[in-house]
Amino acid sequence: MMVDRKEIAHLGDLVKVDLKDPEKYIAQVEQILNYFEGLDKVDFKSEKTLRNEIQYDDLREDKYEKFSSDGRPLVDFLKKAQDNFVRAPKMI
Amino acid sequence: MTKIGLEIHCQLTRLESKLFCPCKADYRNLPPNTNICPVCAGLPGSLPILNKKAVEKAAMISLALDCKVPDKISFFRKNYFYPDLPKNFQITQYNAYGPTSIGSDGAVQIEGKEIRIRRIQLEEDPGRLVYEGSSEKTQITLVDYNRAGTPLVEIVTEPDFENPRQVRIFLNVLADLVENLGVSDPYLEGAMRVDGNISVGSGNRVEIKNVGSFRDIEKALHFEITRQQSLVERNIEVAAETRHWDEARKITVSARSKEEEQDYRYLPEADIPVISITGGQIEKLRTQMPESIMAKRERYVKKYGIPAQVAEVLSSDKFYSDLFEKSHSAGNAKAIANIITTDLMGFADTREKKMELKVTPRHIADLADAIVGNKLTRNSGKAALYEMIKTGRPLAEVVSSLDLGNLSDASSLEKIIDEVFKEEEKAVAEARQNPSTINYLVGKVMRKTKGKADPAITLEILKKRLS
Amino acid sequence: MSLDISATEYLSLVREGGLSVEEFVAKTLERIAKVEDRLHAFITIDSQKSAERARAIDKKIKAGERTGVLAGMPVSVKDNICSTGMRTTCASKMLEGFVPPYDATVVSRLKAEDAIILGKVNLDEFAMGSTTEFSCFGPSRNPWNTDYVPGGSSGGSGVSVSALECMASLGSDTGGSVRSPASFCSVVGLKPTYGLVSRYGLVSYSNSIEQVGPVARRVEDIALLMNVIAGHDPHDDTTAKRKPDDYVQDLDAGIKGKRIGLVKQMAGEGLEKEVSSATEAALARLQDLGAECVTVSLDAIEHSVAAYYTIASAEASSNLARYDNLRYGFDFGNEGYEFKAYVSKVRGNFGPEVTRRMLLGAFVLSAGYYGKYYLKAQQVRAMIKSQIDDAFKTVDLLVSPTMPILPYKIGEKIDDPLKLYLLDINTITANLAGIPAISVPFAISSAGLPIGMQLLANSFEEKALLQAAFSLQQSTRLPGVPI
Repeated sequence: MMVDRKEIAHLGDLVKVDLKDPEKYIAQVEQILNYFEGLDKVDFKSEKTLRNEIQYDDLREDKYEKFSSDGRPLVDFLKKAQDNFVRAPKMI
Repeated sequence: MTKIGLEIHCQLTRLESKLFCPCKADYRNLPPNTNICPVCAGLPGSLPILNKKAVEKAAMISLALDCKVPDKISFFRKNYFYPDLPKNFQITQYNAYGPTSIGSDGAVQIEGKEIRIRRIQLEEDPGRLVYEGSSEKTQITLVDYNRAGTPLVEIVTEPDFENPRQVRIFLNVLADLVENLGVSDPYLEGAMRVDGNISVGSGNRVEIKNVGSFRDIEKALHFEITRQQSLVERNIEVAAETRHWDEARKITVSARSKEEEQDYRYLPEADIPVISITGGQIEKLRTQMPESIMAKRERYVKKYGIPAQVAEVLSSDKFYSDLFEKSHSAGNAKAIANIITTDLMGFADTREKKMELKVTPRHIADLADAIVGNKLTRNSGKAALYEMIKTGRPLAEVVSSLDLGNLSDASSLEKIIDEVFKEEEKAVAEARQNPSTINYLVGKVMRKTKGKADPAITLEILKKRLS
Repeated sequence: MSLDISATEYLSLVREGGLSVEEFVAKTLERIAKVEDRLHAFITIDSQKSAERARAIDKKIKAGERTGVLAGMPVSVKDNICSTGMRTTCASKMLEGFVPPYDATVVSRLKAEDAIILGKVNLDEFAMGSTTEFSCFGPSRNPWNTDYVPGGSSGGSGVSVSALECMASLGSDTGGSVRSPASFCSVVGLKPTYGLVSRYGLVSYSNSIEQVGPVARRVEDIALLMNVIAGHDPHDDTTAKRKPDDYVQDLDAGIKGKRIGLVKQMAGEGLEKEVSSATEAALARLQDLGAECVTVSLDAIEHSVAAYYTIASAEASSNLARYDNLRYGFDFGNEGYEFKAYVSKVRGNFGPEVTRRMLLGAFVLSAGYYGKYYLKAQQVRAMIKSQIDDAFKTVDLLVSPTMPILPYKIGEKIDDPLKLYLLDINTITANLAGIPAISVPFAISSAGLPIGMQLLANSFEEKALLQAAFSLQQSTRLPGVPI
């Protein structure tokens, strides 16, 4: 697996991180991915994977409960703009 | 040939709490960000706790659409950044690594055509964005997370529709179905949203998003067919792309962002273990499901002899079929079906109007009994019904105050018929010659009695006197 | 009054009125003030509230009121576990200023039993690292030699417990993050069975494998804490429904007749010489204590580092997506920005190790690669679990050195991430398989650096695990911390 500037920039875009020093990551990521490639050579006897299970009957009952933290609503803990809205940047 | 497939998002509006937390499922009409908790606002350290009833309702939709419900159900994360998504991923279901969504491989028949259902998945709705400021420069985005995490069922069909008309019929059937199941109120704003994909001939597939209503999806599809056909005629290849419906201009526009290139990096949602559901539990859910519209329709026809067309109209409407169920008896079922489908449905055809009706099952039963027992004519019955709808007063009271009772005693009718014979000598003579004109005289009697004369008895007397 | 006292002993003294919580907590705070500038275990210290709580508990005891089983016990909590009224930073610039509106379940359970949370302790940013050097607040230092790393990512937990700055600590263990600092700082650290302890309020890094785990100086204190924090939590669907054992009862049952398997792949060529000889000594000791020692081979371990980092990076890239600073976190005005530009810019404030893992995670999950990396990693995981299940058919416990090498100098390996990853080889197996594992102090090297031994048991066999760990502890005499 070769990792180049373009690939690192693409990965940075997927996880939305501006890489101040992309060069720094190229060699390391390439080295680690090459190490990961060993996984491809494993000879598996079974296809199964490990997952926890929960019984349908043990799922949460459908009950409304109002959240409060010491009597304060959650929005008090968030950054807010006008009218308790959260402000986001332009979407265009 | 045109091929159309649909993705329908249907909110499970009948739940009390959200899909993964105990906040209210009904987010409507609440001040911004007042219906949120650490889970649905995506705070660090919070964990989703799956709502059992949401699984139950989604399973019911799956069963009603003839889907397979697997014994292991699992959730995945769909990763993308958007400000209405508090965790910057959506918890949803994904079948690329085996069928683990709540339903798959179903089918619906519409007018003899089979529409296959590819899969049904349970997922969370994002929050809501509000844009302020008119120009691009001044625009700001405000986010309200009240809706974030409310339960949504996505129904994905195979591209089995051949034209927009089938789409419309299917959507109506689906809306009636989820309402009948008691899982959703499809007529609430935003409760049912449709995306489509369409290809003409061997051309590329085009996704249509951002469609506000059922009516608009039909328009959008019509527009697309015309657009794609005209491209084909000019030998221009149809681009595989996502297009947005522009409601104002009634056209589809290419989405500028390359959405089809999004890499969602699906991965299993480890915070929600695989849900193990037994065949017995699924069967139990099946027995708890309300009778299907189809079964209802058949019962109406077979058991009560209600005409097929009336049964179809009645069974498809949850509100009115419920009213029918609560009011009918063996003797008056047919009359009630008639009253509801011919008088009531025309009067109150919207959700708001239905809610305002003051009429109870008792009113309907009394009314039908009176008509069946010849105590009221159909006409007087209609008048009584409209009065009861508005006032909620009992039938007996309405009949006496409006003086609607049937004139069925022979002597009173004889007197009135005497008067008619005096006034209508020419018509009487004609009726003697030609008995088919007798209805004119019946009409005269009706007018004189303001519709209260029992038509059967009236006819009987008239015939006797004319012979 | 010594601060180096077991919690079990301390609590009974307090309960009987023989020791004032206020005094003990004051002395602990003095100790913190004295050593912190050399160790940097804490991110936040709440002296005032701690002193108030201490006084309140003394008052309750004097009045004969009912108190919790941890009444007056001063503890620290890793700063990726949410606590109301105290900022939770995950040692990241991204969470600057974030004060959670809720307590993690483990925190509320400690509070309900009247423990005193002195403060929040240091870690690698979002628990990604094994040295505590990747903290945005700077590294913690090993109390046995402050030029050396204390292990990680729960470095602050290991340091604060080892250096007598608190009696016990809660850490989190994703790939060894509790056991590595326990081993490097000569304290006890337990990674419980996945699903035994609630993760509600633990800030997720790799949510399919991590657990909150206790750190203490004594095995009996670990048992005591487990009695409080273990058990089903309605806020965490991954917690098991079963009722947890009483870990304190019969802790001294011994290990006579137990079969203990040394894991071949954890004791091979990669071991530093002194670690290797300590391991041999540990096996001899276990045999002296009545256990039968054998060697067990788990060949899937060969792929465990690749599998672990594939899964952990993938999950991390998703778990950390929520940090966009729109709702909480450090102030970064978004006015004038377009959304994508804003998000990328603000998220540029993650540190290098977190960034690296997110990039790796994005890669292994991206279209076309899922089957090659992530799915394979999950299959390795299942393979490891199945080999471990087989092993536990013939042995009761497994053993290995916790870390293959001795503590190393701060800065020594920070620029070689793969080398650091490979040092997790002995600890990650328990995380991938979901089984419990504990690190117990066993020896001090010629240069005065701690060496810990790891014991592993099958899922939910914490009781047997703690009994064995207790036996090993009781037969070991080690010098006190030099600082």
